[in-house]
Amino acid sequence: MGHMVSTELPPLARAQSVLELADFDEVVRLYRPRIFRFLMASLSDRDVAESLTQDCFLKAYNARHQFRGESSLSTWLTRIALNLVRDHLRSRRMRFWQRTRDTALDIVDVGEWIPDGASSPEQVCLQQERVREIWKSVEQLSRQQRTVFLLRFVEEMELAEIAETTGMNTSTVKSHLYRALRIVRDRATGKSEGEK
Amino acid sequence: MNTHPNQFRDTLPPDEVILEPSGQFAADLDNLRSAVHRAAERQTAQPVSFGWLNDAKRRHNSAQRRSLLAWSLVTTCAALLCIGAALPFVHHGQPVVEQVVARNVESATASSTDDTALLEQVDTAVSESVPPSLAPLATLDDWSSTTSTNTEPTLNALEKKNVAQ
Repeated sequence: MGHMVSTELPPLARAQSVLELADFDEVVRLYRPRIFRFLMASLSDRDVAESLTQDCFLKAYNARHQFRGESSLSTWLTRIALNLVRDHLRSRRMRFWQRTRDTALDIVDVGEWIPDGASSPEQVCLQQERVREIWKSVEQLSRQQRTVFLLRFVEEMELAEIAETTGMNTSTVKSHLYRALRIVRDRATGKSEGEK
Repeated sequence: MNTHPNQFRDTLPPDEVILEPSGQFAADLDNLRSAVHRAAERQTAQPVSFGWLNDAKRRHNSAQRRSLLAWSLVTTCAALLCIGAALPFVHHGQPVVEQVVARNVESATASSTDDTALLEQVDTAVSESVPPSLAPLATLDDWSSTTSTNTEPTLNALEKKNVAQ
């Protein structure tokens, strides 16, 4: 992961963040892909992710006067998205009779989206299979572990930023991340819990 | 899987190991990230239309209405339940009160009747004429109730007369 390039926007000064929020169309244009990506990865459902992305920006718009620029805009929006995910999962659990997860038509199959490299079709198939295995393992993680895992390995956030977004302290984030990583790696490589 | 994260705090490896895995697993994680990014980019490639947030506003408003409706339904049901639960007490409680009141009135009437009869009986008994044999005693009684010590000689004379008889 040494070649991981941070896609984090350049750090914005507090006043600059507040000013940036003033042009809300620009905020939507800049941050919508990121928020949608995080929601889609968290819920594995494009339709729900799209609805929650709208909800996230509506909430941000309604609460824009409360934003003091103490954190970056990206962190603030991700925190709102995280709360929406939690609320959504909770209400889905409450409405257990609807079985929304099973009937959702638009489940994301990440394996189909692996970029074509110069490798052979066999290697592409193998890569797809491995990514699907990892994705399946990620979906089975606990909510907190999955959130931390996605924020680190999909959104490429630093530990401190993950801690700020989730409201956990850094050592808790590290613990969740370490545990999630071990579970995912062991499952992806076919190692059972008993073999560890 | 169910282990608490605190259990790992003491034995956590260095940050580099946690944050940047190596080998094939790192490559797989890169592929996963690329796949998620590509899947999301396709959806968000088109710019948002004017009024993009209107759907969210509509959803938000209808959710508020639903919540309001649900609360009013719950409140109505609770009120109906309370009324239903209290109804038997009100229904059965009314005759009991009436019975108690009626019983009290009856006993009061009966006791007042008893008192009147008793008083009448006493009056009758008092107003009865004294038999001749007891007449001197009645006179004596009249005397003792109306006279004082200055009537004593008269009384003594009467007693002497009685003894003589």
